[in-house]
Amino acid sequence: MRFMSKRKHPLLILCLTIMSALASAQSAAPTDIIIRNAIVMTATHGTIPNGSVWIRNGKIFAVGDTINVPPNSNLTFIDAGGKYLTPGIIDSHSHIALDDDVNEATSPVTPQMMMKDAFDYQDKAIYRALAGGVTTSLLLHGSANMIGGQAVVIKHKYGATRDELLFPNAPRSIKFASGENPKRVYGSRDQLPSTRMGNFAVQRQALVEAQDYMREWDSYNEKIKRGDKDSKDATPPKRDLKLEALADVLRGKLMVQIHIYRADEMLTEIAMAKEFGYKIRAFHHALEAYKVADQLAANNIAIATFSDWWGYKQEAWDAIPWNAVMAMRKGVRVAIKSDSEDFNRRLNQEAAKAIRYGGATEEEALKMITINPAWIVGVDDRVGSIDVGKDADLVIWDGYPLSSYGVPEKVLIDGEVYFDRQQPGLGTTHYKEGE
Amino acid sequence: MKNQFSVLGSQFSAADRSVRSTRACLPLILILMLSTPAFTQANPIALKNAKLLTVTHGVIENGTVVMQGGKITAVGAAASVTIPANAQLIDASGMTIYPGLIDSETNLGLTEISAEEMTNDLVEMSDEIMPHMHTAEAFHAESALIPVARFNGITNAIVAPASGDTLPGQDSFIQLAGANASEMLLIRDNAMPLNFTGDERRNKGGFEKRKFPSTRMGLAAQLRQAFIDAQDYKTKWTEYERKKTEAAQSQNNKDKKPEPTPPKRDLKLEALLPYLEGKKTIVLAAESPSDLQTAVSLANEFKLKFVLNHIAHSQPVLDYVASLKVPVIVGPIYESPKEDERYDAVYSLPAQLQKRGVKIVFASYDAHNVRNLPYQAGFATAFGLPYEEALKAITLNAAEIWGVADQLGSLDVGKTANVVVANGDPLDVKTDVKQVFIQGKAVPMTDRQTQLRDEYSK
Repeated sequence: MRFMSKRKHPLLILCLTIMSALASAQSAAPTDIIIRNAIVMTATHGTIPNGSVWIRNGKIFAVGDTINVPPNSNLTFIDAGGKYLTPGIIDSHSHIALDDDVNEATSPVTPQMMMKDAFDYQDKAIYRALAGGVTTSLLLHGSANMIGGQAVVIKHKYGATRDELLFPNAPRSIKFASGENPKRVYGSRDQLPSTRMGNFAVQRQALVEAQDYMREWDSYNEKIKRGDKDSKDATPPKRDLKLEALADVLRGKLMVQIHIYRADEMLTEIAMAKEFGYKIRAFHHALEAYKVADQLAANNIAIATFSDWWGYKQEAWDAIPWNAVMAMRKGVRVAIKSDSEDFNRRLNQEAAKAIRYGGATEEEALKMITINPAWIVGVDDRVGSIDVGKDADLVIWDGYPLSSYGVPEKVLIDGEVYFDRQQPGLGTTHYKEGE
Repeated sequence: MKNQFSVLGSQFSAADRSVRSTRACLPLILILMLSTPAFTQANPIALKNAKLLTVTHGVIENGTVVMQGGKITAVGAAASVTIPANAQLIDASGMTIYPGLIDSETNLGLTEISAEEMTNDLVEMSDEIMPHMHTAEAFHAESALIPVARFNGITNAIVAPASGDTLPGQDSFIQLAGANASEMLLIRDNAMPLNFTGDERRNKGGFEKRKFPSTRMGLAAQLRQAFIDAQDYKTKWTEYERKKTEAAQSQNNKDKKPEPTPPKRDLKLEALLPYLEGKKTIVLAAESPSDLQTAVSLANEFKLKFVLNHIAHSQPVLDYVASLKVPVIVGPIYESPKEDERYDAVYSLPAQLQKRGVKIVFASYDAHNVRNLPYQAGFATAFGLPYEEALKAITLNAAEIWGVADQLGSLDVGKTANVVVANGDPLDVKTDVKQVFIQGKAVPMTDRQTQLRDEYSK
């Protein structure tokens, strides 16, 4: 592993050995784990004051205040010691583990970029976010391009193999952008786009080309399907990865995630989506969502926003910390996301700000970092709440999670402990706490 | 959302007049160490039946605070406090009251929109040695960021130039309310950063773009030269003053001494003198152990009085840090650890320092996010910092470091009435600040963001 070659300390290697031994032991046989004596915050159906969660084969098998354990069963117990248990945090906007390959900023339209191809599964940022309770992240292309690349969804199983970190069969997402970033990147090179009208013209042009491409292929496929004499002479159109990706947007096979700040641009993007017949999954950043929340709700567009970050650029000047709750009250699905290696280590605190700014309930705030971002990523049927049948991605918290004080004690993914505050093996160094 | 101040709203509405109108009707002259004459309260105010976090003498569960003439005139258990007859009584049952919070490094008033260069007066990068830059002269009192910070109970702050130079200029100590810059700038040029993190090197953009100093030895040599030049400059002026006195004394003598020519004034060197003389504090910033020790050696070479700043990645030498017996401005504790540091290395720094007897204070190192200052203090408690110490680090400790502990930092009789009323724990992110008093006056709990909120909530 890359970082191991840099490290000399035996402690780290020892910890890795333990982790991998643990992993192989657990994958060998079906395992049952019961986390008991926990305050279970389910995110979907309230809080169970003295609850237990039964994990079988990495999935949540039972949840409740009492779980009847069959006699003679081979169970492992984790005593949560009366602490809080929540679903693993889902970060619906992240650029970690891409080794700075976030923006292919050489053309404003690059939908053929696959973030998976840049994914650095050994990046310690994955572990640090895990230590903050994050179990799933959507790694997005950057916002330099009007149409960026296709995202990769990961589970934060730090220390496992690359493929084990990839969220299995996650739906595909593509990143669009708008506003200042594409303007600045291409405008500074005297290229199109350098204005917002330029931005949208570039986007529309790409979509028009995609429509033509889609028609060519549809017509070809239709001929082949008919199997008449025409079909024998039919030559397939030339494949173009860029247009193929955009055609998938038009076909509804790619979820559209748009980096956007201003309310007027949100309305333009909604109109554009209608013009070309695709759906927008979520507006990201969306700091002015509170101004057009009704329209977002009517179009079933979620937002992935910051809690209170503002003023870093002109289009973030009207940001208000009440944005999340104001949009939520109008029926918008709201997620708090990180977009940084700082916020993704304490998204629970960021979600708690929804209580302070606007009076969200505990469960509403928790949803903003669990089930709501899971919906944005398209994996809400598998993660994002403590419900039977879902992946056992769970966090035991030291302290109340929706406060300044909550920090993860243990983080489980698919029923395995990947972070333990008492033994923070991975990511250690020669410096030992208390020395 | 309109009713979010419902608990206190009705009582406070009377006091919610603008800062400017108060100034117009109250031309007071108070000669204090903090020269802040006009901004003050009209009538005594008594906040009753609240939980008081005094910082200096514990927690009073059911207490009363009286503010009069801009000062705290009584603090104590509700039963023991005598309330002046003409006082405005405010029932603060269920509320927590604590002293105004102090942010020990901000860029407030020096920036408005980070990416918009014309709104930034953060640091003069044309040269490294810029001690004659005074943040007080760029401070923008009308900045929309100031009421936003105040909204969460931050009443005082250091305004520092951004990093970038080794000596970027001098700090100011401000109050986050006042009719104009003069009222808000409580102390001008109170301290000066000396940055030695490596980021100050002019080594960006390849060899052809490099200029001196592009290395750490360059940074150190340049700093040393600046302080030596300042020492020489001082000698020249001392010599001049001596000759001038001699000339004056010999005026009627036969062998009359000639009038000396004064040395040419040099603003840079002049600005360094109070620091060389140990009259003002250097805020010495370094990150790594080696930079820290180089910076400390330099400071000691010139007998500078200093506090340490940042040291986010100096965990291996915390005993050395403690041995220096100087306070440390910690943070930002949210900063990512370095590649070989533990995930919680920076989070636990405040606790590690406090455990070693180091006096710590927190800073946001920011302008827009000053409002989040108390949360990092709270977060540090999750990594071992005792709660009382966390609260002290954004109140009394800061007042002590900045030389204003006789005025600020606790709920004590005689101190400036910078008082915050909130519905709970000041360090918790969920807590709603209901009212902020600065010099005994209820400041409007509105800002650009509440205005947008209200406009779009109609």
